Amino acid sequence: MRLQLRKVAFIKPAVAALAAALLGGQALPATGQDNVETSLLLYSEKDRVEAAEGIVNVGKMLKGDRTLNLRLTYDALSGASPSGATPSSRVQTFTSPSGRGSYTINPGETPLDNTFHDTRFAGDITFGQPVGRMSALSLGAHLSSEHDYFSAGFNAGMTRDFNQRNTTVGLSGSVSFDNINPEGGVPTALAVMPGVGATLPREGSSDSKSTFDLVAGVSQILDRKTIVRFNYSFSHASGYLTDPYKIVSVVEPESSADAGEPVRYLYESRPDSRTKHALYGQIRRYIAGSTIDLSYRHFWDDWGVTSNTIELFYRQKLPGGHALQPHVRWYHQSAADFHRVYLLDGAPTPEHASADYRLARFDGLTLGLTYSLPIGENMHLNITPEFYTQRGDSSPPEAFGVLRQYDLFPDMDVIMVRAGFSYGF
Amino acid sequence: MKRIILLMITALIVAASLALGGCSHVGVKVWEHDILAKPEMQLDAGANDRALDDHIYFSKEASSGGRGFAGGGCGCN
Repeated sequence: MRLQLRKVAFIKPAVAALAAALLGGQALPATGQDNVETSLLLYSEKDRVEAAEGIVNVGKMLKGDRTLNLRLTYDALSGASPSGATPSSRVQTFTSPSGRGSYTINPGETPLDNTFHDTRFAGDITFGQPVGRMSALSLGAHLSSEHDYFSAGFNAGMTRDFNQRNTTVGLSGSVSFDNINPEGGVPTALAVMPGVGATLPREGSSDSKSTFDLVAGVSQILDRKTIVRFNYSFSHASGYLTDPYKIVSVVEPESSADAGEPVRYLYESRPDSRTKHALYGQIRRYIAGSTIDLSYRHFWDDWGVTSNTIELFYRQKLPGGHALQPHVRWYHQSAADFHRVYLLDGAPTPEHASADYRLARFDGLTLGLTYSLPIGENMHLNITPEFYTQRGDSSPPEAFGVLRQYDLFPDMDVIMVRAGFSYGF
Repeated sequence: MKRIILLMITALIVAASLALGGCSHVGVKVWEHDILAKPEMQLDAGANDRALDDHIYFSKEASSGGRGFAGGGCGCN
């Protein structure tokens, strides 16, 4: 049996990997062997969130080239996250999301909500089935649970090889249903944040959203050492897409003596549907024992966000099966149409507004280095320190009055370490 | 408009795959998959690492998708 699998492994890996690559990233055992992969991530934002995440992935070859893949993910996070409010020259007091407590922010500091912590558990299962000699079908299910969030989904995909297996086309789709139970209920969109103990303006205790995803792609072997892939992905979400914990400051207008100082805070409001598109291209080439991988993504959505991402990996083989892989990723996004640093007192309130820095215009840069080493037959260990930073507009042109004195997009710097273990048997 | 873009992109992918499929000089013979079969040449090598990355970027940026599904399945604050 083992011999037979190994023999299959010689011909099939590229095909299985292509299938996996095209099926929306649902990993199938690509090596033609049973395998176990575990990863641990430690994540730390400077002065903000700390998180730990673990993944266990088991891939199993079944009879008749069927595959089964199970992935379990657990993560825990705690710390402070920017609430969306602007800094002020006075002490600011905010009601916590539950409405039962409050937190204060010192003059000049970026308001961070330090009351949140969460754990998440997710499970994914994918079953792969060859159809004839040249096609493969996959079916999968997904569950994810947090104390205030639950998501369940299904996915299905099909790949087909052509042209002596040099070309693979794939199409996969996914639906997911999410339920959101925010701490303290679902805030009424753009309602004023009340003081501690007052009745919170609420639309209900929970809300939901549904998402439909599609990925269409083609992979092509160019020569013995080069493979390329192109994907188009589409995603449509509808339902509750607002972040229930984010707020927007309403500030004194420029004519006021207190120009730029907050008057009140509103719960943010986002549209109830969002359509995303992405075009993705990737090339991987083998050069004298090393591997180079370059990818580009162009993303756009109907919230006005456009982004470009370039990612480069270079894997340098070292003696004894060791390898070193530097990695760089550059990212730039434009702001969502309804992103506002603040709203003006006395001006009409827009239909949608969010001060979430993640919907602002910014650049992201990731630098990483992976070191992998063999620790036994078919066993590998890898460790990756990584640095990720976001730089936005600290003093946007619309800043006025007291706002001009403060950093309205503080740099977000993250240090992460990933450790991975893989075993094929 | 959205539908037109979608149709154009689908047509492009189909056309590209047909064009590539029709090129006999692009690609290799089945017995020449030795290098492409290496683990480090798999397009999704390091799937766990990419899954961790995608989760981080999904939580911290406004974009998602491209390599795989764009959906999230998490609150991600």
